[in-house]
Amino acid sequence: MRSAVTLTVAYLLLILQSTVLELAPVHMVAPSLGLLVVLHVGLSSKWTISSAAVVAFATGYLFDLVSGAPQGVHALVFVLMALFARGLTTRVAVQGIVLSAATAFVASLLASMLIVLVRAQVAPEAGYGGLRQAPLEALLTGLVGPIILGLFRYIDGKVDTARSRVGLARGPRSLSSDISPWK
Amino acid sequence: MVAGSKRLREAAIVAVMLLIAIISLRMSAKNPGDLSALDRGILRLVSPAQSAMSLVARAITSVAGRYVELTHVRGENEALTRENQRLRAELTEMRRLAEESGRYQRLLGLRDVTPAETIAARVIAVDASPYFRVARVEIDHGEGTVRHGMPVLTPEGVAGRINRVSGKSSDIMLLVDPRSAIDVVIPRTGGRGILRGKSGENGYRCSVEYLARGEPAKEGDAIVTSGLGGAFPRNLAVGHITRVIPGAVGLYQDVEVTPDVDFSRLSEVLVVVAPPPAPDPDPSAHHLPARGLMVYK
Repeated sequence: MRSAVTLTVAYLLLILQSTVLELAPVHMVAPSLGLLVVLHVGLSSKWTISSAAVVAFATGYLFDLVSGAPQGVHALVFVLMALFARGLTTRVAVQGIVLSAATAFVASLLASMLIVLVRAQVAPEAGYGGLRQAPLEALLTGLVGPIILGLFRYIDGKVDTARSRVGLARGPRSLSSDISPWK
Repeated sequence: MVAGSKRLREAAIVAVMLLIAIISLRMSAKNPGDLSALDRGILRLVSPAQSAMSLVARAITSVAGRYVELTHVRGENEALTRENQRLRAELTEMRRLAEESGRYQRLLGLRDVTPAETIAARVIAVDASPYFRVARVEIDHGEGTVRHGMPVLTPEGVAGRINRVSGKSSDIMLLVDPRSAIDVVIPRTGGRGILRGKSGENGYRCSVEYLARGEPAKEGDAIVTSGLGGAFPRNLAVGHITRVIPGAVGLYQDVEVTPDVDFSRLSEVLVVVAPPPAPDPDPSAHHLPARGLMVYK
């Protein structure tokens, strides 16, 4: 249920990104809302790494379809970013607005580099150029990051409440437990 | 033991996700325009939502614009203000209708002068990713006639070409996408080159590659399609040279081009559905000037 709700919200965010943001004053760049979904599932202790990877793949696949990118570009990058986020949680506790924004900023920069790298493999004629606006995209992603991550934490809480009514509540998982592939 | 198998299962699922993504990438690299049945199904679900969201967004922008206009006249006499408001609202609506009508008339005009069969399409989404300059359009009539690679035009000039097709909606790879390559010519000099998009730049820009140094380009020179390659009819306006980058060495010039089409305001386009005519072998035709709504004859 958690995955279905998260994917539905991700779908709405991607539609929002592809339509509403084109009417914004700055047409050239928009925050990477899909990446924030991936960051949430990667950072949250309520998601196992496998379910985070599945949601990241599905979000990336959907984003490839919505954005007209070659199939698999964002799917691959988003799965890698989910792994990056999960790896980050073993070293840093990403909490609070400032740290969330900083994480979103860094993740967006990293994702931009990966996208350009993967794009160059799929379409060599496109080359490695186009990273000039990555900092602006990362800045916007960092600004909206805490809001979107907060929204997903709220959704997770609501899902937990619904599950607890039927006795299925899932508490936070310890990432240092022996089921983590990062140990 | 149980924990070990759980860990293995988790790692296996992650590996499978990565593997599927890599397989998708390889398949899309081999056949860029192909969509699987699953992709087409998902797009059929996504496109109506995009279309509806686009309409809602434009309506909100329109209402917000009217609100801004109304706040300017609040200080005036109340009766006059009310009258003014009504007239302004009507005027705004009329202007919007006139603008829309003008756009359609220009599209119809373009259709009349384009030497190929075209169908109109409405843009429902642009540029979800800054690294892939793609617009999605919806075609109300003529579903099934659009194919991968078909040229897409606007009254201002070339917009790009069809990249993917799914039912009534299609993706246009804009000419500013770095994967886009169009054979172009400078009418003033007759110099030919390949126009390629510069994705990720802070603005919609292109560059012309393989433009020989023997025919020096100047800022302000028009760029039109050459008609070679068989995709685009010849002499369609593409853009103007905005920068000739000095200091480049080698056989070719380094030239930056600003497209004539304002991609941030793209709303209606024409898709050329019939094959363009064979290029005219007369080279003197390349020296015609290029400006405005451009299909040279």
